Amino acid sequence: MAFDYKAFVLRKLASVGPKYLPFADVATEDVPLSRLLRLSLFQVTVGAALVLLVGTLNRVMIVELSVPATLVAVMLALPLLFAPFRTWIGHRSDQHRSALGWRRVPYIWKGTMYQFGGFAVMPFALLVLSGYGEAVDAPRWIGLSSAAIAFLLVGAGVHIVQTVGLALATDLVKEDDQPKVVGLMYVMLLVGMVASALIYGALLENYTPGRLIQVIQGTAVLTIALNLIALWKQEPRDRARAQAMQTQVNVPFKEAWDSLVARPGMMRLMVMIGFGTFGFGMADVLLEPYGGQALGFSVAETTRLTAILAAGTLLGFGVASRVLSGPMPALTLGRIGAAIGIPGFLAIILASQGGGAAMFLAGTLATGVGAGLFGHATLTQTIRSAPRNRIGLALGTWGAVQATCAGIGVALAGIIRDIVVQIPSLGGLSAHAPYNYVFGIEVAFLVLAVLVATKAIRAPADIDREPAEAS
Amino acid sequence: MSDDPDKVWPTGLTLREAEEVHSYLIDGTRVFGAIALLAHILVAVSTPWLG
Repeated sequence: MAFDYKAFVLRKLASVGPKYLPFADVATEDVPLSRLLRLSLFQVTVGAALVLLVGTLNRVMIVELSVPATLVAVMLALPLLFAPFRTWIGHRSDQHRSALGWRRVPYIWKGTMYQFGGFAVMPFALLVLSGYGEAVDAPRWIGLSSAAIAFLLVGAGVHIVQTVGLALATDLVKEDDQPKVVGLMYVMLLVGMVASALIYGALLENYTPGRLIQVIQGTAVLTIALNLIALWKQEPRDRARAQAMQTQVNVPFKEAWDSLVARPGMMRLMVMIGFGTFGFGMADVLLEPYGGQALGFSVAETTRLTAILAAGTLLGFGVASRVLSGPMPALTLGRIGAAIGIPGFLAIILASQGGGAAMFLAGTLATGVGAGLFGHATLTQTIRSAPRNRIGLALGTWGAVQATCAGIGVALAGIIRDIVVQIPSLGGLSAHAPYNYVFGIEVAFLVLAVLVATKAIRAPADIDREPAEAS
Repeated sequence: MSDDPDKVWPTGLTLREAEEVHSYLIDGTRVFGAIALLAHILVAVSTPWLG
């Protein structure tokens, strides 16, 4: 009897194969929590990248590598330039053509590669930039351009991974579960940021160039490892969808964008997100120095401030996940979040006017809760108000607005404080005055966000309703 | 199963699918190769070896 080797091998492969392939075989109705948790790992890498750029490298470049502060600021701002491209990337992933039926995986993978590549090159670029070893004699442009490339690569990677990753998460779950997924994604981002801040701080306590290379390249490896784990078997391979993709008519970006913006309430929502993110974002970098300089907190106490802020934000995410699964519209909750931030910042201001440390801590907690509620509610609202086939574009727009406003907020907070310090007539002589100007601006922007939200809620065309395709 | 002319032995992918998987491999090789090259140049600038 002739043994049919080919059939035998094929049968074996068919039974073993799918287990080791990076796609889900079928799109199951209910995605278990463990799978979503795994997917949310990409947010951990995004959080780690953000902390490394904004927090750790900011200090290392200035203090240990003695790169001029202005150059550091410019380098760290480079990734922001990519933020508006999130809309385009999200749109591209909505209409991606793949023989495997994939829309999101190719982009997340590419983004991961860029993020990895940027981190892999970055330590050497920074060492050359700071004139380490023989690099003192090297032409200046080598260090400058390679550092710029490294930061741009990481920035592009982070933007792509986060935008398309969120779109994939939205694709996977049913509408009712979306608030929970949004909450999970936010929590994992926060977890990634807090954990990596602690780890980087401990690892770079005793700085050596070798340690810098280890830490940054370790982040690179961790990025690619976690993202692979996150992506594995998430998006189903789908021959029917692949067929449909071959014949689909691609909508030009401008047309898709116009129809998204024309949806009732979309513009208002984005403006509200911009104001609110800007308002909450400015405080991030100033709370710790404010506690230290104006209220005389020790370093350990100011670190605890960040912990309180993070705890408040977590609380906000948790409450929002729960509430938004119920009947409350996301916009209303977003307005509540922004409104909680206002007394929070007022309390922080009053703390230096005789309110004391307790008031400051309460204010910090309140702004944390407000920021959590606001961020969660507005992202949920973005997902809810976008049509299913434009999720990528909508999340790209959300990301572009959010990342740009948060970045500008952080930058402006520092600039405004420095300006007020320079001008004594504005009250720059007292330690708390420059900070209070910034906190005052934050209150103003949160008031604006509340007003826009109120207008959006009152608008006759309620965007919570599933509207017919705009125009 | 193996008789489908469009499918590539032994994976059971269609030709297009196989080509797409392959394109990811090619892309990855190019990107990682470029990154490795750049990293080597930068290391050579700061701490030259072989000389």
